[in-house]
Amino acid sequence: MNRRFGALVALVVVCACAELLAGRGLSPSVVADVLGGGGDATERHIVFQLRLPRLLVALGAGACLGVAGLVLQSALRNPLAGPEVTGVTPGAVLGAVTATGLGLAGWESPLAVVVAACVGGCAGAALLWLLAGRGRGDPEQTALHGVLVSAVLGGLTAMVLLVAPGELGSVVQWLVGTTEGRVWQHWHLLWPWALAWGAAAWLLAGPLTLLRCGDELAAAAGLATGRARSLALLCAVALTAGAVAAVGALGFVGLLVPHVAVAVFGADLRVSLPGSALVGAAVVCGSDAAAQLLSRLLAAALDFGRLTLPVGALTTCLGAALLMVVVRRAPSRTF
Amino acid sequence: MAVASGCALSLGTPYVPLYRLPGALRDADSTLAGIVVTELRLPRLVLALAAGACLGAAGLVLQEALRNPLAIPEMLGVSSGAAFGVAAPLVLAVSIPAAVQPLLAIGGAVLGGGLTLLAAGLGRSPSAVLLTGAAVAAALQAALLVLMVMADQLDLQLIYRYLLGSLSARTWDDVTGLWPWLLVAVPALVLCAPVLSVLRLGDEDAEALGVRARRARLAALAIAIVLIAPVTAVCGPVAWVGFLAPHLARRLNPGATAVGWLPWSAAWGAVVVAVADLPARLALAPVETPVGAWTALLGVPAGVTLLRSGRRRPTAPRGEAGSAAVSLEPPGRPRGTEPSPETPGHGHRQEPGGEPGWAAEAGEAR
Repeated sequence: MNRRFGALVALVVVCACAELLAGRGLSPSVVADVLGGGGDATERHIVFQLRLPRLLVALGAGACLGVAGLVLQSALRNPLAGPEVTGVTPGAVLGAVTATGLGLAGWESPLAVVVAACVGGCAGAALLWLLAGRGRGDPEQTALHGVLVSAVLGGLTAMVLLVAPGELGSVVQWLVGTTEGRVWQHWHLLWPWALAWGAAAWLLAGPLTLLRCGDELAAAAGLATGRARSLALLCAVALTAGAVAAVGALGFVGLLVPHVAVAVFGADLRVSLPGSALVGAAVVCGSDAAAQLLSRLLAAALDFGRLTLPVGALTTCLGAALLMVVVRRAPSRTF
Repeated sequence: MAVASGCALSLGTPYVPLYRLPGALRDADSTLAGIVVTELRLPRLVLALAAGACLGAAGLVLQEALRNPLAIPEMLGVSSGAAFGVAAPLVLAVSIPAAVQPLLAIGGAVLGGGLTLLAAGLGRSPSAVLLTGAAVAAALQAALLVLMVMADQLDLQLIYRYLLGSLSARTWDDVTGLWPWLLVAVPALVLCAPVLSVLRLGDEDAEALGVRARRARLAALAIAIVLIAPVTAVCGPVAWVGFLAPHLARRLNPGATAVGWLPWSAAWGAVVVAVADLPARLALAPVETPVGAWTALLGVPAGVTLLRSGRRRPTAPRGEAGSAAVSLEPPGRPRGTEPSPETPGHGHRQEPGGEPGWAAEAGEAR
């Protein structure tokens, strides 16, 4: 187990290095030089004020999404319950967009965005809860209803955007999820939130492991299942909202990272919860580095002056491919 | 439909009362009201009705062919594909003639739908198809969003409105662009309808009745794509009409077969789009809201309610145990009026002797 953790941490470090080195403007040797203490003012500014916060935000958001996905899947006992398909992410996007559009929140009051995203995420989850009705024990029913809820919330977001169209350009990047232009303020906002709720999730790891075994078993072991489940859901929604407020709706990270984590670390959440955080951080950070490299390659190939590939597009495509493989390789199981 | 049409023609600025509509239509070029009605509102209404009918019919064809009440163009990646095909040249600043645009949309739709069905496999369980479709649609959406990030502010507004499905500022040119495709699709649809009602019995029974199930299903999917793609090219992916209309048709006319549902589904689709266009025009006037947002907002809750109330009836007598197994069956399935899935042998035994017309029709359509 320790060896696996070591390998994973090494992977995260490799991804972080790639993230630092990728990107326009500075060659890797210059970055190394700057990290060693050299370089002129511009280079130092690029590395310490732009790349480092971006790297940290990517890591934090990935970890948040990974933990939130694992908590959701365990609490609902549903392998298909990621934040994306339970209406949490679209709800959080709706909340954030509404708050920004109505002028309640802006860059001056960033905490309001997080709170609005949190409220929106709760609303999305509650809507799904109402809609799914009696079929909520059935994973695929819940997933299908989640897609419907996401459609409704997407329509609402569209309406809000049309009423307040001024910010369309910046919000579109948010809809797909990007780490472009994240600075220290974002990181200072993200880490206390993520740390608090991550700690809460860690405390809930034991009860959640019991919940994975089924309600009867958990109740027999002396767990108040209802209370534990609602606490876990609150925790997952808050973590997702923090990630969404920081980087936007990254597709499929929260759905697929927990599966990888459980496959590597087993179903004991006390071990696989940190594992899931690490995997999520590695995935988001690695795809961000890959997206930067790809957009440079594409810009060179297509002869565009400037082209940025948002990281959310890459994770969505990766996740979609992976989901297809999973569905295809499980013929008899009801996915 | 008449009420919706009347409202669509008379409401708005300037307000034209109903009793003055015929007069306005007669002297079209002389009065302001006449020009507004004939040049702006009438094409818009016709487009809404045609688009709704196409989407409703396509939704029914998809649902029957895949035997899945949730098989909707949106969830199979067909709509996203078509939208992608239209939006890509807009962003990349490639100028293309208007006649090619539906072709591009069809190309995109075939890409999206084909990818889904290839990845999921035709004979898979409905939920596998749906989840794969959701994945494909998400990937295509991501590609679209990349395009949107690349676009400049003006293009972005245009694309965003288009993506939500909008009927604003459509003229007779757009309507005439739709006709040739409808001319191809409607006869094919009429030929295809009897086969559809056989397909819903299940593959083995359909084979026994002389329908090559795979080929018939492919044909049905092709027809659905031909119906959806031109509509998407003209007014964007108007969401969830293909979901709501067939369910309305089934609920209100539970005794019919696919042949009977098809015109009703088309009619309901037309009504839904025409009605949704009213709040789209008027709710936040003078700002136009996209009709697609309204259909999504109103259509999804309505459709889910229909789906759930329709599901509860057949499952109630069988109790809790059966509910999961049959929950994905088409809702509103009439009891006793047609061969039900629980007794496939019933239809199987009786058809060849009892109703030879069906099989003959099916053979003809092939």
